[in-house]
Amino acid sequence: MSMKDALEKIVGKENLSDTAADLQLYARDFSLLPSGMADAVVWPGSAEEVGKVVEYCNENNVPVIPVSSRTHVHGSTIPKQGGVVIDLKRMNKILEIDKVNRLARFEAGVTWEQYTAALKEEGMRTIMPLLPRPDRSVLTDFLEREVPTSIVYDYGEPTQSMQVVWSDGSIFRTGSASVNGFPDSKSRGANPSGPGIDFYRFLQGAQGTMGIVTWMSAKIEHETKIDKIFFAPIDNLAFGQDFLHRILPRRIGQECLLLNNVDLAAIVADKEDDFDALCAKLPPWTLILSISGVLRRPEEKIAYEEKFLAEVLKNEFPSLQFSEKLAGFPGLGRKLMPMLRKPWPADVKYWKNRLRGACQDIFFIARPEKTPELVAIMESIAAKNGYPIADLGKYIQPIEHNRACQVEFSLFYNQEDEQEKEMVARLNREASVALMNAGAFFSRPYGDVAPIVYERATNYTMALKRVKKVFDPKNILNPGNLCF
Amino acid sequence: MSINRLAYNAMKAVVGDRYISEDPAICQAYRSGPGGFEGGTGYERVMTTIPHAVVLPKNTEEVQKIVKICNRYDVPYVPYSTGFYGPRTHCHVENEIIIDLKRHNEFELDAKHFYFNVGSGVTLGALQQEAMNNGAYSVIGGGGAQCSAICNLIGDGWSPLSHRVGLPHRRILGTELVLPDGELVKMGSLAVSDDPFWGEGPGPDLRGLLRGFTGLRGCLGVVTKMAIKTLPFQPEPLVPTGVSPNTALELPVKRVKWINFLMPDKKAQVQSMFDIGHAEIAAAVTKVPKFWRAIAKAEDKEDFWRIWGVENDDSVRDFFIVRVLLVGFTSEEDMDYQERVLNDIMTEHGGVATRTKPTDESWIKNADSAGMWLMCGSYVSVDYIIESFSQATQHGEHYAELKRKYTPPLMPDFGDPGWFQNFEMGHQGYSEFLIYWDQREDVDGVDKFYVDTSKMNIKHRFYTSLLGPHQPLFLTGPKYGPNYHSWLLKIKEELDPKWVSHPPVPLAHDEFVSKAPWMKEMIDWESPEELPMRKW
Amino acid sequence: MSIVDQKFGDRYDTPKTPVAFDITNLDNFTYDMQHCCKCKGCYWVEHTYNPGMNFPVRCASNLWNDFDAYGAMGKVRIGLALQEGKLQWTDKLLEVLYACTLCGACDVGCKRNLDLEIELTLEALRVKAVKDGAAPLPAHKKIVDNIATKNNYFGATESRTKWVTSDIKVADKADVLYFVGCSTSYTNPGIAQAAAKIFNATGTPFMLLKDEKCCGNTVFSIGMFDEAKKIAEANIAAIKATGAKTVVTSCAECYRMFKVDYPKLLDIATADLGFEVLHLIEFADKALAEGKLKLTKPVDVRFTYHDACSVSRLCDAWVPYKGERGWMGMIFPGLRRRRGRQGLYAQSRNLLNAIPGADFIEMVRLRENAFCCGGGRGTKAAFPEFSKFAANHRMEEIKYVGAEAVVSACPWCNSSFSQVAKEDGANLKVMDIAEIIAASVEI
Repeated sequence: MSMKDALEKIVGKENLSDTAADLQLYARDFSLLPSGMADAVVWPGSAEEVGKVVEYCNENNVPVIPVSSRTHVHGSTIPKQGGVVIDLKRMNKILEIDKVNRLARFEAGVTWEQYTAALKEEGMRTIMPLLPRPDRSVLTDFLEREVPTSIVYDYGEPTQSMQVVWSDGSIFRTGSASVNGFPDSKSRGANPSGPGIDFYRFLQGAQGTMGIVTWMSAKIEHETKIDKIFFAPIDNLAFGQDFLHRILPRRIGQECLLLNNVDLAAIVADKEDDFDALCAKLPPWTLILSISGVLRRPEEKIAYEEKFLAEVLKNEFPSLQFSEKLAGFPGLGRKLMPMLRKPWPADVKYWKNRLRGACQDIFFIARPEKTPELVAIMESIAAKNGYPIADLGKYIQPIEHNRACQVEFSLFYNQEDEQEKEMVARLNREASVALMNAGAFFSRPYGDVAPIVYERATNYTMALKRVKKVFDPKNILNPGNLCF
Repeated sequence: MSINRLAYNAMKAVVGDRYISEDPAICQAYRSGPGGFEGGTGYERVMTTIPHAVVLPKNTEEVQKIVKICNRYDVPYVPYSTGFYGPRTHCHVENEIIIDLKRHNEFELDAKHFYFNVGSGVTLGALQQEAMNNGAYSVIGGGGAQCSAICNLIGDGWSPLSHRVGLPHRRILGTELVLPDGELVKMGSLAVSDDPFWGEGPGPDLRGLLRGFTGLRGCLGVVTKMAIKTLPFQPEPLVPTGVSPNTALELPVKRVKWINFLMPDKKAQVQSMFDIGHAEIAAAVTKVPKFWRAIAKAEDKEDFWRIWGVENDDSVRDFFIVRVLLVGFTSEEDMDYQERVLNDIMTEHGGVATRTKPTDESWIKNADSAGMWLMCGSYVSVDYIIESFSQATQHGEHYAELKRKYTPPLMPDFGDPGWFQNFEMGHQGYSEFLIYWDQREDVDGVDKFYVDTSKMNIKHRFYTSLLGPHQPLFLTGPKYGPNYHSWLLKIKEELDPKWVSHPPVPLAHDEFVSKAPWMKEMIDWESPEELPMRKW
Repeated sequence: MSIVDQKFGDRYDTPKTPVAFDITNLDNFTYDMQHCCKCKGCYWVEHTYNPGMNFPVRCASNLWNDFDAYGAMGKVRIGLALQEGKLQWTDKLLEVLYACTLCGACDVGCKRNLDLEIELTLEALRVKAVKDGAAPLPAHKKIVDNIATKNNYFGATESRTKWVTSDIKVADKADVLYFVGCSTSYTNPGIAQAAAKIFNATGTPFMLLKDEKCCGNTVFSIGMFDEAKKIAEANIAAIKATGAKTVVTSCAECYRMFKVDYPKLLDIATADLGFEVLHLIEFADKALAEGKLKLTKPVDVRFTYHDACSVSRLCDAWVPYKGERGWMGMIFPGLRRRRGRQGLYAQSRNLLNAIPGADFIEMVRLRENAFCCGGGRGTKAAFPEFSKFAANHRMEEIKYVGAEAVVSACPWCNSSFSQVAKEDGANLKVMDIAEIIAASVEI
């Protein structure tokens, strides 16, 4: 029996394709990585089907490439050694929203647009990264440890238990969902950890190389009752970080982020034509801080946070123009606040694609006090490679009381211009190395950056390969990514 | 029989004369019990041995060398920080060595970035005080302030403060792990630099090897160094007062206070705790079992039984206290706000604030775990599980019911269903069931109860801490995952093909039930005739 | 019928076994040895007072040697092994047992949460060592011989009352008898002179024993129970013969011997000794409160105070105990255990805080958390390296808190600190509490 026949038997004829047209859709993405063709794509409707497909591929040494989002930006879903794309978009059910235990369980194909809308209907929300693409898989973004804009919760990641298909095709549930009979059980799947070892850790940041996660349980929060958003123009990044070090450990704020003029302009411009003017007018950095009143006595929570902020500003940071308005930009708060709780609108070109069409991000974790130095390094290397500094996007996301932060540089380029693409690819590699040397930690390395990181992390890489050998001895799960 | 001479001499060359010994007196001092956590049980009697040598390395490098020597000369070892976790942290086979890590007490503090970088010998108590000296706080796990911080974070690591501080897994940053074969893995940002500030990655997270929900008891190598996250606290000092045994921390009540509420019934108790989580307030929210109050008042066993003796099934069942810790993290106004919200919730549910001392005797700087041995002389927390709050509030009743069958030898506690608390702001809940007995009595029932609880959890589909090494792997394995045990054993085979790292864990409990005659009647699950491990 | 009998009478199936606080039989402490839970309350400063990474330990032995054996949790396990016949007496085993000043940190630490008798267990182990012929150690034997032949620890032949200067008024008969002790008499005469000054200043006549002999501290501490008992009987008889109502001593070890270990040896209560036993601290504190002691001269020194073990953890009055142990380990009858609550913490601080001009800073480890100087109970003679280690470690703490002087209430502490201060070259003044009080008294 041919592979096509065998797979059709599992998923149904209508849920498999090996046409060039269909396969081309998976052959490239928004990254700079070269294209790669799969041999087939399947659209399974259940974990059982996924399991059987994987089992077949394992027996026949055929790679599988799991895909859940509709848009891909890091190159990790480009087939690098042929094989079968397993696109989980049909598995897009929200399986439960438990408001009492504040968790939701949803399949891999559920998008941000779908998820946030469903939660909103229940008066709930989720912590989320900055303006995710509406058609990206929520599960994938959580699994890949996208950093949230919310800095208030000490527990950080919302990920709880998961269902995963291992490379042998077996279906497994991690964490407290592992109980027999789940979800018909006393256990609700709220604990990510165990059983026995922390399987969920191996799946995080794995780009589908350790297992295929078919559903996830994650924490959800109540919608806030009152929100206030504040801005402060920042010229001196070090000064801005000092302020954040002062207020964030005191548990002020709901969302907090720093965006440079380029990124902020791209986000808030009504029309693409407005971008240049906005960019020129916006301050070098804008600190954005929201404070929220939650379920009970919301105005009182706002009041004590505001009081604290007022005292700190008056006594310690009198020169900081911290206000509900950003001078020269009326209505910015009203516009931006709801944006922070939603994915990017589906009917508008994604903000990163508005400037020149394509975008390469360089992102890593760093100590906040290092950010001025890291920005300087990025600018220097950008300039050296002919990338205009004025077009460099910069985003700093404080993490957990500002004990660390994610820094993201965006390089905008024209995808049709081969020279520009080459320059950006070169700049990406060179800058990444220089930033690593200066203390940037690339905790989720994609594409070209991954081999650089894994070469440096010798012992970690060796150990990772040993663990991979256990979970995927034939290396059929998305080979060619990370260090596999 | 004794340790291979070549191995011993090689280890001596690593640590020096002073820090290795095979003297019988030195070794006997490392016997597991019979007192202690899980002390005096059949598991302890059947499974533990006296070490044939004890070695005290000073740092990761020395640990690595010791482990490599053990691999070369086929010497089994068990990593040991304080030995508090009872028989499971002690030797299980002959000619085994204990790698006592207490000398590894490196300590660095990064107050601005809220973490400590510590060696295995540093305790939770020291860490907590240093944290509080620098405007932060951590969690003293239920095991107590004397526990090694690293050991607690890879084994257990929670307390009522976890309401806000959350799972200990999230507090593990850059970590050094010496694999069973002596190779060193540095995790998180340590993988690529000397800076341990970040715990995840790169890419897939090998911190998954450090623990499951509960720990692996050292069967997958030795954790020698770890950066541990702390959380911002409030700036006022908490002042120790009193003379032992009546010591307490005096709380700055405008910023830190406990409040006890007497609730009318369980429904109100549970619902108020749910609501506190939903309202996103408080630093700790916990039920208080009635016999803990008796322990707190009692100075000795006789005291305790006098106090406890007046109780009965009704008085225990109808006792509903919710104890809440408020911390004004931001300011006094923050504290006031939280207190008003708390009072709103309690008013709705009929909770009445009772007189509460403005001090902390337990949970902030200590967990007073040693007091658990006061009543009967022997104790273990048979299950301590984090799941949803809805599981947490139901789990204990099942335990209490099962426990009746095993009382005696278990202590008469009038059906007390253990305790539960909020976790991660009410997104999760924690429940713990504690059992007590007198090890001088016939304690076969304790061993049987242990395995019976696993079966109960499987039957009622509860998540449990009694997985991994804590119960027969072939009993729990097929029922959780399913077949998590096969993955765990594969990892074990890959990383420790010689089974030198704390043998025969994780199959120790399987071996126990097969060796102990009184456990035969409990075996109603499939287990291979030969357990898939090396025989020492 | 007690509530326990009523409620749990049907569970009383655990056979009752006799138990007594009698250190001549290690079996009395088998239960205690079997119930150590390795919480290391015996090792660490009590958790509420944990100071962080600096000075968190209060077991000198286990800090000196890191193997568990050197801590109480190791020793109790060794005790079980001895009972089981699994260990022979060796030099190493003797070192484990005797490189320890019986400072009581482990006992009080354990009793923070439990009701085990650790100090008594350690004493019983030493009595067993002697009974088995393994002890006394050569260095200790020398001291025992000194006491037997010269009536003092040092084997000194000069007059024990050489310290009495012409300005000191010693009464022929008085209600108060000042017991000086070997260390004060022979190596720290300044303490005795200061004590005498205090008696005189408060208008308290005091007498001395005509022929004062060693209190027997080392003899008892190393486990020579019978010999120590004879010394106790003789000294008590001698004191009774004087008609003294109160014995005051400025030596913490003598204090503990009289108050605690003599009654223990004779199987009587402290209250039944026939006379009151006070440390000079108690005497002076009472005098201060009554206005009899006036501290008026300023003393310009920045000092810290070392709570000597025998006037802190170890000096709760003794009550003999005999009973039975039964269900759940309960003992019948019950008793209020000695947990170091009667330590002279407040009294010493009342006095020190009353000294004008003095800048008093507390140690990191204070009161029942104090770290032993390593000098007492004959330990120094047999294990000088350990003793020096302990004293040096404590001196680090003294420097850490920024003190120029250390004040203690025991001549053995005095000697320990003086020795290491001298060797260290530190400009550290070592004083006894009697001396600093006397310095503030206007004559």
